[in-house]
Amino acid sequence: MTAIAHKLCMLGDFGVGKTSLVSRFVHSTFSEKYLTTVGVKVDSREIALPGRAACKLVLWDIAGRSHLDALNMTYLRGASALLLVADGTRERSLNTALELLMQSRSLLPAAEVVLAVNKLDLVEQWEIAPAVLAELRRTLPVHETSARSGEGVEAAFADIAGRLAA
Amino acid sequence: MSALDFDAIPERVESYLRGLFWQRVHPLLLCFDSEWRLRDIRGDAAHYGIDGEAPGRSVQLLRDLFIGLPSSEPQDVPFVELPNGHSAHLHLIPDGAAFHVLLLDAETERERRRAQQQLGHEEALASQAKSKAIGQLKHIRSELERQRVRLEEAHALKNALIATLSHEFRTPLTSIFGYLQLVDRRVGDEPELREALHAVRRNATYLFTLAENLLEYGRGDGAAPLLNPTPVDLAALLRDLEAMFRPLAEEKGLGFDVALKIEDPSEPLFDEIRLRQILVNLVSNAVRYTRRGEVTVELVWRAGKLAAEVTDTGIGIAAAHRDAVFTPFNRGGHAGSKGAGLGLSIVKRMVEQMRGSLAFDSEIGRGSSFRVTLPRAQERPAAHADAIAPRFWLQERTILVADDDADIAHLLEALLDDLGFSVRVVADAQSAVLEAMARRPDVLLIDVELSGLSGNAAVYKLRSRGYKGCIVTLSATATADAREAALRAGADHYLTKPLNVEQFVHVMQQAASAGWNGGDDAPDA
Repeated sequence: MTAIAHKLCMLGDFGVGKTSLVSRFVHSTFSEKYLTTVGVKVDSREIALPGRAACKLVLWDIAGRSHLDALNMTYLRGASALLLVADGTRERSLNTALELLMQSRSLLPAAEVVLAVNKLDLVEQWEIAPAVLAELRRTLPVHETSARSGEGVEAAFADIAGRLAA
Repeated sequence: MSALDFDAIPERVESYLRGLFWQRVHPLLLCFDSEWRLRDIRGDAAHYGIDGEAPGRSVQLLRDLFIGLPSSEPQDVPFVELPNGHSAHLHLIPDGAAFHVLLLDAETERERRRAQQQLGHEEALASQAKSKAIGQLKHIRSELERQRVRLEEAHALKNALIATLSHEFRTPLTSIFGYLQLVDRRVGDEPELREALHAVRRNATYLFTLAENLLEYGRGDGAAPLLNPTPVDLAALLRDLEAMFRPLAEEKGLGFDVALKIEDPSEPLFDEIRLRQILVNLVSNAVRYTRRGEVTVELVWRAGKLAAEVTDTGIGIAAAHRDAVFTPFNRGGHAGSKGAGLGLSIVKRMVEQMRGSLAFDSEIGRGSSFRVTLPRAQERPAAHADAIAPRFWLQERTILVADDDADIAHLLEALLDDLGFSVRVVADAQSAVLEAMARRPDVLLIDVELSGLSGNAAVYKLRSRGYKGCIVTLSATATADAREAALRAGADHYLTKPLNVEQFVHVMQQAASAGWNGGDDAPDA
C-alpha cells in the first residue's frame, strides 16, 4: 500500500528544538549543539497506522521566527499540518507558538495542529505551569516532548499522522 | 547604449558574464512531464548531490517539496537545505502540460545569513538566560542577606543567653551544691534540719533544671517542642511555690497569699516542668519587683483549663514598655533591677508551646496582674509503631507506588500495607502516568530519580492532563530547590530519603484524607 504524503511544517520560536525533534523522529539522533536553521530543511518518514494506509510525513523544518514573514508564508503553502513547538523552559515561546498559529490560520485554515512543549528532560526548569497546558488541552492537542531523551516525540508525530489519516 | 540594453554588449563580456553566472549559481535544470517523470536534466547535478544517472531519490525529494502546490503555477522556494547539506533556491516553472524545476545555489548566501542569525540567536538566548540567572541571583542574595541577619541576631542572642546563664545560674548553683554537701556532712540526724536540707536540695535541683531548660531556649532552632504531659497535683505545686517564695516575700515585709480552686473533677494534665517554670517566673518577678504590699497567686482548674493569676502591688510596667516585656534581655519597666530580663520571654514561649494564652494588666506604681490560661494537654501522641497500627481509617484507600528500586518499593509497599492502603507498585514513570490516569488511586507516591522519564516529568504530565489526585514525591535530594521544583511540577507533598517513618506516616495520612481534591471530575485522557 502506497503511503499518502502530507506536508507538515514545524513552527516555533528559535531555539525551541524544532530541528532536534525532526532529527530525533527521522534519524533517532540528538545533538547538544545549537545550530540555527536558515530557510528550510525537508525530511520525511513514514508512519504505519493500524488498519489504514501508511502516512508519509514530509517535515518542513522552518527557521524559527517570532512572527511569520513573507518567506515563512512561502514555506507554509500546501501544508496540511502544523507542529507548533514551544520550549517549556521559556514561557514566552509558548505565546510565540500560539501567535504563529493565529498568523498561519489565514493561509492554512484547515491544517491539523498539534502543540509540542519540548525539553521535558529539563522539567525542573520549566516556566510553563501544568495548569496552563491543562487549559490549552481543551482546544489543542498537547504533547510534552524531549528531543534529547526521545520522550513523547513519537507520540506527537503519530498524533498528527492519525489526525491526517482520519 | 542605454543602461538596460544588454543586447549590444560585447560578445567577450557576455561570455565572461555567462561563465561568472555558471560558476557562482551552479544552475541545474530538471525537466518533467505532467506526471513528474524526468525527461531531461541539464547542469551541475553533482553540486546538489544528485546522481545524474540515477536521480530517483532526488526526484522524490523534489516531489515532496512541492506537495500541495500546483505545478501549473510558478513556485519559488528559497533556501532549501538538500540532503548533501547544500542550500539551493528552488523554482518550479510551468511549461504547457509539463514543467521544469530549476535549482540555483544559495550556499554562500545561506552561510552568510546563518553566521549572522546564529550570533543573534545565541545572544538572545544568552540574554534570556542571563536575565533569568540575574533574577535568581538577586533572589538568592536577598534571601541569603535575610538569613544572615537572622543568623547574626540569633547568634548574638544565643551567645548572650549562654554567657548570662553561666553567671546567673551555674556559678551560684555550683556554690549552693558545694555548701549543701558541707552542711550535709555536719547536720547529723536532726529530722527538722534534714527536712530543710532536702527542701533546699530539691529547689536547687529544680533551679538547675530550669537553667538547663533555658540553655535549650538559647539554642532556639525553632524546632517544635516535645511536651511531656503528666497528671499534675496542683495543690502540691502550689505548696512548693509557697514554700519557695513565702520566705523571700516575708524577708521583704510583703504579704504572700495563695489560693486554689478545683471546679473540674477531671485530672489536670500538663507538662509539669514547663508549668512550674511559668509559675516560678511569674511569682519570682512579682516578689522581685514589689517593695511593699503583697503578692497573690491563684490557680483555678475549671472546664479543662487551668487559669493562673499572679498579682502584685509592685512598681508596675509603663504602657510604653508593654510590648517589650516579652522580649528577651529587655527589662523595660523594671529597668535598674537585677535579673537577666528573661523571665517573661520564657513564660511567653512556654505558654505558646502549651497552646495557652497570656495577658497582663499593669499600672505604674500600683502593680501588675499576669493571667495565664492553659488548656489540658493532649495525651502524648502514640509512637510511630502505634500510629501505623490503626489500619481501619485508611482501609479502602488506594495508592500507586512508582519506584525503580525493588528494595525501596518493597519497603514502601510493606509500610503502606500496614497503614491500611491497597497498594499497587510500578517501576517506571511512564507506567505510573498510565496507571494513575486509568485507575485514579487516592494517592500516587512517586520517586523523583527514576531512570528514563523522571518522577517530576511524570507528575507534570499528569497535572497538565488535569489529574487532580494527591501526589507525593520521594527524593534523595534534600534541598529547597529540589523540593520547590517537585512542588512546581505539581506534587502536593515532598518527602526525602532516608525515610523518616513518623513524617512518612503523617504525610500519608494527610494525602489519604486529601485524595481527589477536584471532586469526581475524571481527568482528560
